Amino acid sequence: MLAMIAVTVMVTVAAVGWTVSVRVRRVFEKIDRERTADFVGQFRREYQRRADSVALSLDRMAASEAVTRIAFDLGHGGDPAPYLNRAAALAQEYQLDFLEIVSPNGSIVSSSQWPARFGYKETAVTGANRKPFLKEESLPDGSSQIGLFAVRSVRGGEKAVYLVGGTRLDREFLMSLPALVGTQIFLYRNFNAGFNPHGLAGVNGDVDNAAPYQSLIDQSRASGLDSNAVVYPSGNLEDSMDVTAIPLKAEDGHVMAVLIVANSRRGMVEVQQHIKAIAYGVAGVGILFAIAASLWIAARVSRPIEQLARAAGEVANGRWETQVRVGSHDEVGLLADSFNRMTSQLVEQRDRLVQAERVAAWRELARRLAHELNNPLFPLQLTVENMVRARHLPQEQCDEVFAESTATLMAEIANLKTIIARFSDFSKMPKPQESNLDVRGVMQRVLALFAPTLDQRERPIALKTEIATDPLMVSADAELLHRALSNLVLNAIDAMPEGGTLIAVALRKSNVVQIRISDTGTGLTPEECQRLFTPYYTTKQHGTGLGLAIVQSVVADHHGTITVESIQGRGATFVIELPALPIASEAHA
Amino acid sequence: MKPTMFRPFVISSLVVCLTLSAGARTRSRYGGALRIETQSDPWRVPDGIARRLVFDGLTRLDDSGVVLPELATRWESQNDNHRWQFWLRPGVRFHDGAALTPAAVALSLSQSCAKQCPWTGLSAVGNSLVFVGDSAMPQLPAELARSMYLIARQHDAAEPSGTGPFRVTKVTNEVVSLAANNDYWQGRPFVDTVQVEGKRGLRDQWLDLSVGRADMVEVPAELLHQAVQDRLMVLASRPTDLLVLSVSSKGALHDDQLRQAIALAVDRSALFNVIFQKEGEPTGSLLPADLTGYGFLFSTERDITRARNYRAGVSTPPLVLTIDNPDASTQLVAERIVLNLREAGLNAQVRPASSQPTADLVLKRIHLEAGDAASGLDEMLENFGQKVPEEKGDPEALYQAERDFLKTYQAIPLLYLPRALAFSERVRDLRLTGDGTPMIADVSLDGAK
Repeated sequence: MLAMIAVTVMVTVAAVGWTVSVRVRRVFEKIDRERTADFVGQFRREYQRRADSVALSLDRMAASEAVTRIAFDLGHGGDPAPYLNRAAALAQEYQLDFLEIVSPNGSIVSSSQWPARFGYKETAVTGANRKPFLKEESLPDGSSQIGLFAVRSVRGGEKAVYLVGGTRLDREFLMSLPALVGTQIFLYRNFNAGFNPHGLAGVNGDVDNAAPYQSLIDQSRASGLDSNAVVYPSGNLEDSMDVTAIPLKAEDGHVMAVLIVANSRRGMVEVQQHIKAIAYGVAGVGILFAIAASLWIAARVSRPIEQLARAAGEVANGRWETQVRVGSHDEVGLLADSFNRMTSQLVEQRDRLVQAERVAAWRELARRLAHELNNPLFPLQLTVENMVRARHLPQEQCDEVFAESTATLMAEIANLKTIIARFSDFSKMPKPQESNLDVRGVMQRVLALFAPTLDQRERPIALKTEIATDPLMVSADAELLHRALSNLVLNAIDAMPEGGTLIAVALRKSNVVQIRISDTGTGLTPEECQRLFTPYYTTKQHGTGLGLAIVQSVVADHHGTITVESIQGRGATFVIELPALPIASEAHA
Repeated sequence: MKPTMFRPFVISSLVVCLTLSAGARTRSRYGGALRIETQSDPWRVPDGIARRLVFDGLTRLDDSGVVLPELATRWESQNDNHRWQFWLRPGVRFHDGAALTPAAVALSLSQSCAKQCPWTGLSAVGNSLVFVGDSAMPQLPAELARSMYLIARQHDAAEPSGTGPFRVTKVTNEVVSLAANNDYWQGRPFVDTVQVEGKRGLRDQWLDLSVGRADMVEVPAELLHQAVQDRLMVLASRPTDLLVLSVSSKGALHDDQLRQAIALAVDRSALFNVIFQKEGEPTGSLLPADLTGYGFLFSTERDITRARNYRAGVSTPPLVLTIDNPDASTQLVAERIVLNLREAGLNAQVRPASSQPTADLVLKRIHLEAGDAASGLDEMLENFGQKVPEEKGDPEALYQAERDFLKTYQAIPLLYLPRALAFSERVRDLRLTGDGTPMIADVSLDGAK
């Protein structure tokens, strides 16, 4: 019951905890989505603002006198060399990270980001004055940067020079974005096909451990679409992030960079852990409550029933006088009262039965005494009457009758003494003088006593033995055990007047020594089997009915049991089981 | 490509004429403090500007490269130029008062070149010094005029003292303060003090000059044109600085073909026309054309097709290019060379010299002090660790020696550049030596009392 209540409490608490946890997670996820959407909106606005700023700077630059003069000079075939460093100065003046002045033929005149590239072609000038676009810009140190670029043409006569200017999308750009507390922003830049862990940078510089973001970045780069996943930068659940990858594309559509918006899940995880802790607490309290409730229920219901069960067990073990305490007036109390009445009635019935059996036993005893005493009395009566009649016979005949009669009287008196002695012996069964002995020896002495007579009978009886080779040690009185076995063997011989087979078995089974004496006589009826060990009960015509009672008394005094197995017409088997001594005792004996 | 080496001469001539015409109005006056600013360390060995003011050599070169006496009054060679004897100028004293003796000069010279001296034996004989060499030393008087052989008397705890027109009064951080040597053997200089501030950025130098905080500042070759446009008073030398790419013959570039590919890939015209604004002259030779007369025999043309062909059969890892004493222009040149090499299929990257002690390519600027071809070739070859051949008496032998070395493609000459100064209006009588060194001892200041 305790387990059932505990399981019920735990399942209930787990279900409630899980439900609340799921609800919390959904709420947090919704908040994260909204935050990400807000941030992406801010990013796009900032992106557009920067694009507008670049375009505006280039427009102002294109309208400036300095650039107009350059355009005029170059447009009329002027020497570009003097303008080598002009882009750097203009970029600084107009706050651009990248600026190239490109001649009408598309060659770079001056480059702020890579001054040595003068004379090389710049392909971005095609489609001048179009909307700002993302472009990869190579730098002298071998690295590349992503920039937000715009192109403006400046006419200096018939030909135009171009201004290709831009601003970096880098850490400073990320820092300018208004990120919320708990939101981190990274920018992944890599112009190669594979993932470069050094390409991921945040506002604090390169991300040390970029590997957890790889699959999300790869997915976003491959699909060109926003991707979302939960990322675990460390082994701690609290450090997990709800990450959204937003691809940034060039004009031709290929992904040049990936913006990473990572919302910390710490708050959600902590709330979930809090819920879990509360659930554990509630479950613990519930279990304690279940224990208390079960104790109360046990006190009210289970314990009386357990007492009843124990009392029933005692009754089953023969202690019929067992009573239970009636502590309540409910169903359990009624049950206990009924139980007490039942055991009282059982005791009364047993007493009556014992009384009846005593009466029956006395009657049987009287019957047996009458029968036993009557048998010798009738010859005594006839002999005395012969002797009375012989007084009238001649002396010689009288003497002959007297002699025969006295012999008969003596024989019958001896017979009476024998009967009386048997009854006397039964009443004076001695206490067994136990010692450690080997049952095999007792068995062999008994069989040796009777074996010679078996063959000499008119109808011989065969003897079969099955005796263990190892000692069968028991604690027993050798004389009494000898007498009991002799009684069983005699009974078996008496049961086979037409001959047969006597089977004697002595074996060890588990912790008992089992002795089996079997005959192949007519066997016993079930009723006979039940009454067989009752004193003065006999199936023999001349038995006293004390033999098996003595055997049972001996076996009982040795803490053993005796049973009978019989199938009518196929003989009977008496089985004695005596407690075997431990092996050490055997060895000692 | 047509060299335009006459431009600086025109500029300097104009400036000098203006200066002289201004100076003609009044006589030079003693006194005043001259303030000089440089990008380099004033005490840099061997050619820091302050060293030239404090120390003298045994000889010196005039504008045309002729060897003139300085601390040595005369000299003569013996035994087919294997033995030279130089007689010291009597009565000369170091700034600390010690007399100039042959022993002191011998000690200074020995410390200057250590084990790489052109002579094998140096001894004092009376008031003269005797140089003995295993091989002939025909250029020894000219060589002794070089900055590395300036005579200094070393002290344990103080700055070395010399015999020059100025003595050191104070050295703090990057500023060297000098005072006129009243006992200078050529006569006291006009200015009382000179303050040389080193490691000063170019922009700051020009700003200081414009606001009167400096009297003399540097003008890099690439800014000469701008300096003139900005109406600065500029004095430029003939081309004296060789911009050269030193190529390692070991490691990734052990293959001659790769080194030749690099030589063919470099676009000198872009460096000359754009980066240096047509100042100086492109060169395929280690020496300036006006010094040898055979400079045109070394091609300066780019041949990217041949460069690619040479590169095609050879694989090479990414090359590292460093810059010896980098500045803005050499950084730009290095980056341009990297682009040139990429066109030829060679991947290279510019790295700081501090991070790459053994680079494949090193961009150097070598200052040529010699005033004649033979001494100049000696000077140049020494920079590449080459032993100078003995038989180079005539131009043909010189050409042969230089060609043999350049054929190894361990040095790729790029440009010869002039040295230039901008100075304030109060500076008078400023002239440059043949190698572009300002002759400060002759300078006087307007307004000095």
